[in-house]
Amino acid sequence: MTADEICLIERAKEGDREALNDLFSREQKYIFNLMVQLTGEPALADDLTQEAFLLAYQNLKKFRLQSSFRTWLSKIAINQFLKECKQKPKHVPLCFEEIKIPSEKYHLERIVFKRELQQCILHSLQQHVPKKYRTALILRDLQNLSYREISEVLSWSIGKVKTRIHRGRKILRAYFVSSKCKAFAEKDYLCICEGILEL
Amino acid sequence: MKCKEVRSLFSEFYNRELNQQAIKLLEEHLSGCSECQEEYLRFKKILKILGKWKPLDTPCNYLNGMKSAGKTKVDR
Repeated sequence: MTADEICLIERAKEGDREALNDLFSREQKYIFNLMVQLTGEPALADDLTQEAFLLAYQNLKKFRLQSSFRTWLSKIAINQFLKECKQKPKHVPLCFEEIKIPSEKYHLERIVFKRELQQCILHSLQQHVPKKYRTALILRDLQNLSYREISEVLSWSIGKVKTRIHRGRKILRAYFVSSKCKAFAEKDYLCICEGILEL
Repeated sequence: MKCKEVRSLFSEFYNRELNQQAIKLLEEHLSGCSECQEEYLRFKKILKILGKWKPLDTPCNYLNGMKSAGKTKVDR
């Protein structure tokens, strides 16, 4: 943690609104995106982010600077997400859609497709990888956190983090194999995925 | 190494977490097995595409909502 961040936190703890604003502004995009990645639902991600920031605001005095502010905030937000999962029944996508990929010469369209493919992979991750693996996988492969950082956010040992990430990736890979998705084949760009209509 | 074992180690291989002997065995298998090679390429692509996530903008400033909510319980 930088000296600047420590100073901001101390000022925010004492009720300095400007410091609080600075501190929260730096992290809101990160936390909101983390929630979008975990839930796949921007509206729900918005609610969870709001709840996480409110909790952080109410508990700021209890923050002992033992981790970075982002790690502490991520912990709070992930707990909110896990609570929400317990309350809400799992969404089961029913639609199947077939998409033809535009040829190389339509460069713009291919860019659009690549985004869709990313959404499709993320959607598969959200729907088919159990959350006990998914959370660690998202922190590693989308947020690019180190094992140590993930172990701090999730309060897990580094060994457990590694195991869960590897297991989660295996489940995701197995899903793509069993779905017979050919989106990644070099020549055949025919993609059949669940949930693509929701993008 | 058999195909099933090789495929079960893709994630560790990708993160360079295997020992030298396992890496050697896995690489030998991959160089001679086009199906596993293709599977590994696909696995790498999945992670690579995920890693290119472009962050979305937040719908609001969360501190603004707290000016009132800080005093009372948040209204949802």
